[in-house]
Amino acid sequence: MTTAATTRPATGARRLRRPKGLSAHILLMLAVLISVFPFVWTIVMATNTTKDIYKSPPKLTFGSHLLENIRNVLNTIDFFGSMLNTVVVACVTTVLVLFVDSLAAFAFAKFDFPGRKVLFGTLLVFMMLPLQLAVLPQFILMSEIGWVGMLKALVWPALSNAFGIFWLRQYIENGVPDELLDAARIDGAGFFRQYWNIALPMMKPALSFLAIYAFVNAWNDYVWPLIVLTNPDHVTLQVELAQLNLGHNTDYSMVMAGVLMAAIPLVVVFSIFARGFIAGATEGAVQGS
Amino acid sequence: MDLSRRGFLQAAALTAAASGLTVACGGSSGSGGTKNGKNLTMWYWGGALSDKVVAEAKTHFSGQIKLTSSSIGGDFKQKLTTTLAAGGDSVPDITGIKGEDIASFLPNADRFLDLNDLGFKKISSQYLEWKTKLAQTKDGKQIGFPIDIGPTALFYRADLFDKAGLPTDPAKVAAVAKTWDDYFALGSELKKAQPGVFLVNNISSVFNIAVGQGTKRFIDEDNHFIGDQDHIRAAWDTAIRPYTLGIDAKINDQTWNAAIGKNLATELGAAWHALDIESAAPGTKGNWRVCASPDGPANQGGSYLALPSQCRNPEEAFKIISWILSPDNNAKSYTDATIFPASPATYEMEAMTGGDEFFGGQKIIEVFGPAAEAIPISYEAPADSAVMAPFMAELSSIEAKGKKPDDAWNDAVSQAKQIARRQGVN
Amino acid sequence: MSSPPVTGPATVHEHRGGPGPARFRPRRIPPAGAARPRRRGVLSYWRQYLAISPFYLIFAAFCFVPVFYSLYLSFQRYDGLGAKQFVGLQQYEFLWNDPVFWLSIRNTLLIWVLSTVPTLFGALVLATLLHSVRRFKGFYRIALYVPNVTSIVAVAIFFGAVFSNNFGLVNAILGTVGIEPVPWLSNPWLIKVVIALLMTWMWTGYNMIIYLAGLQAIPQSIYEAAKMDGAGPVRTFFQITMPIMRPIILFTVVISTINGLQSFSEPQVLFASNAANQNQGGPGQAGLTTLLYFYQSAFLDNDYGYGAAIVWAFFVLIIVLVVINWRIVQRGRKS
Repeated sequence: MTTAATTRPATGARRLRRPKGLSAHILLMLAVLISVFPFVWTIVMATNTTKDIYKSPPKLTFGSHLLENIRNVLNTIDFFGSMLNTVVVACVTTVLVLFVDSLAAFAFAKFDFPGRKVLFGTLLVFMMLPLQLAVLPQFILMSEIGWVGMLKALVWPALSNAFGIFWLRQYIENGVPDELLDAARIDGAGFFRQYWNIALPMMKPALSFLAIYAFVNAWNDYVWPLIVLTNPDHVTLQVELAQLNLGHNTDYSMVMAGVLMAAIPLVVVFSIFARGFIAGATEGAVQGS
Repeated sequence: MDLSRRGFLQAAALTAAASGLTVACGGSSGSGGTKNGKNLTMWYWGGALSDKVVAEAKTHFSGQIKLTSSSIGGDFKQKLTTTLAAGGDSVPDITGIKGEDIASFLPNADRFLDLNDLGFKKISSQYLEWKTKLAQTKDGKQIGFPIDIGPTALFYRADLFDKAGLPTDPAKVAAVAKTWDDYFALGSELKKAQPGVFLVNNISSVFNIAVGQGTKRFIDEDNHFIGDQDHIRAAWDTAIRPYTLGIDAKINDQTWNAAIGKNLATELGAAWHALDIESAAPGTKGNWRVCASPDGPANQGGSYLALPSQCRNPEEAFKIISWILSPDNNAKSYTDATIFPASPATYEMEAMTGGDEFFGGQKIIEVFGPAAEAIPISYEAPADSAVMAPFMAELSSIEAKGKKPDDAWNDAVSQAKQIARRQGVN
Repeated sequence: MSSPPVTGPATVHEHRGGPGPARFRPRRIPPAGAARPRRRGVLSYWRQYLAISPFYLIFAAFCFVPVFYSLYLSFQRYDGLGAKQFVGLQQYEFLWNDPVFWLSIRNTLLIWVLSTVPTLFGALVLATLLHSVRRFKGFYRIALYVPNVTSIVAVAIFFGAVFSNNFGLVNAILGTVGIEPVPWLSNPWLIKVVIALLMTWMWTGYNMIIYLAGLQAIPQSIYEAAKMDGAGPVRTFFQITMPIMRPIILFTVVISTINGLQSFSEPQVLFASNAANQNQGGPGQAGLTTLLYFYQSAFLDNDYGYGAAIVWAFFVLIIVLVVINWRIVQRGRKS
């Protein structure tokens, strides 16, 4: 699995760490190259013209057409307006998902109550149903309650995704020690105090992952916003981006510039949360020991 | 992970039990209100109409109506269907419908207004009859107003033809590519002179055009499946020929964009396809020409405007669409967005009669104009495109896997029959 | 958020700590209270019910009801606009005799296996490596997760261009070493490989982060103790890391099964540029997954009843698969 270095006798433990670390870095860098290459290639496409993309072999160096492509994007679609809508939807969705899911997951992970298994099992069963199935009935429902065209029509259905509960419950079971909760209980803390004061801070690493997951999903969601947002002033970024990609005569370099512009905020948000992720993990370790 | 299988089954049972509760759900069909609204919405997709003409329409009618247009990306039909199914205020007053989707909306013609009632009958002679008919129910209700059409022609590389010692003049090429057989013979000569040069990009496109040249398609007017009959088999055999002759490039993905400027000597396509070629292969400017397609023209694509029955002001909405699609404004749309009009009067106008530099200055309307008027009137059933799909898929199987054409035909027919049955065709 | 008063009956809840470092042991016995002899009224659990109620209310409205409405649709003939017509089990009968449906199932399962196995294995290796290094952790984490953040449209265009039969980068590179062009996007097997590669690329970093979270929850002291006993890294991995990670691995297997079997956008976008065979999953329908077939039937052919039947039949299949998976992993745990 790792390297030959690891099979050496364990005497010089300190000396052993260096070559092992080095080979790990080499392997990781290789993986990074593979994972980042398409991303870099997107930038390459966004800085070149469509002609360059279809050369054979395709052009692999950065070009000088980025500004021109960005200008084309801004001229074709309402980029910033739709981005604002997306930011609002993604942020509200993320915050609500974190709250709703962590509360439920805590109850599922650490308490027993009648119907717990059945309720939890229902979630699991429903996770296996593709959501496209529900598009038509969901739209009829939205129309009945008069939410068609509104941004809240995006937020609420997104909250019914059970992944967060599944994931947080998994984490809490092992990551939040029973002893701590027992101690809190002896101190007189009730259910919600245990949740707020003990479980929630300890869930931080899991929460930041869920936050990224929920944010990215809300950001990249396409089919549902396309259908439910009938008001042209209230569309999201992905729906606008789809305008660029029309099938015939697609200007791919422009599409890629749009994709890039839409992805940058995601990477920024991700970097912020990833830092929280690291901090959270260390905190947990300190508390745990 | 302490969820047992029993818990799992319990959950499944619970969900099943609840199903009974939800059956009562139903759609709504709210219209109501006054029919002289001042705010009208219009849906189309990028490239369906000229944005310039739409903007002019907004100013032209600003006295009576505030027109809001939205250009919708992605799967337009899905969005329109869901919105119509739900009804209510979100339904647009005017909507585009793609040519390939119009037949599937005909069984639900009651969701749309009959344009004949609003005055289309009086002006319908300005538009091509075969195109108008495709948006008409059997009892004569007109739900679609033709925007544009896609008459097909043969695009060819004059420079490659020249190298192979073939004629390059459009009239002469049309003469030597009069039938499918003549056309494929050209391909063999091209291949002999320049190995690696192909005649057709894939055989599905040949099949598509060959079917479109006839008056019968896959389902007849009595709702019988006729996709296993001679006319389809003939189109199929035509499509197979370039494959067996080795002049088929077998391109079934986006590499077309890269191939078009290189080793494809001809393209069979609709008028709008000129723009695809132009943007994918700008380097070949001046080398392309157009002539009549072998064995006559077919139609590919071309859309309609329709008024959903919820339309808040049918009279004004009809005025707006008939203004946008008037022969004069169609000329503007052609200049602005190369939308090939369904009104023959426009073909005589200056906007369309000029030479096209991409085609070496050729006046391409001289090819597409007559083609547009020569397209046969055919019956397209609502399930037509669904039934056609397995034929296209099997043709691509021949190209991808080397599947035997006869096996592919049998599989295509049996699949098409199944789909037809599912769609309620006898 | 205000916390309720701390007094009340629920504070009597007791937890079974178990012997040893129990908190890091996967819980196999039912938690708190299950073994308690005295049964208590449902109402005394109102806090727990209150805690899960926000989710379940939303879930019931926006997921439960619509999904069951679609089950109802699977017994109808419905074109999305016209009248619904009850047809009993006819849609399922069509399904049973539809070779394309079975083809789509085969495609889906193959793509799922081809993508899930390398994804999870790669993720575990990367997580272990990442856990072992000290420097650049944050950088690796972000760089390896980035694929999951990018838009599927961009990724599909990228893969389509790189693996293009005639003009792609991969074939261009193979050409320089004298290898004949490989028909990546027309050979039925290679189409599946390309789709699986795409999914592997997108989801390895995601699973790696999940594994990493699990690894970080293992206290360093356990490893130090193991080191004192003279256990090498490989032995430590298999005897300490793996058993502790088992529930997390099971978690990712279940999630990957769910996600992997629902592959839809990948083949759709990859072959969408092919106007003649749009949504057919590429040449020979080799990339036609079940969900893509559903999409085509429901939204393109306007056959909502049949579309609903496809998904419900497929759903039953997934459940069977998950249960089998479960059993295998459970048995592995017992031995």
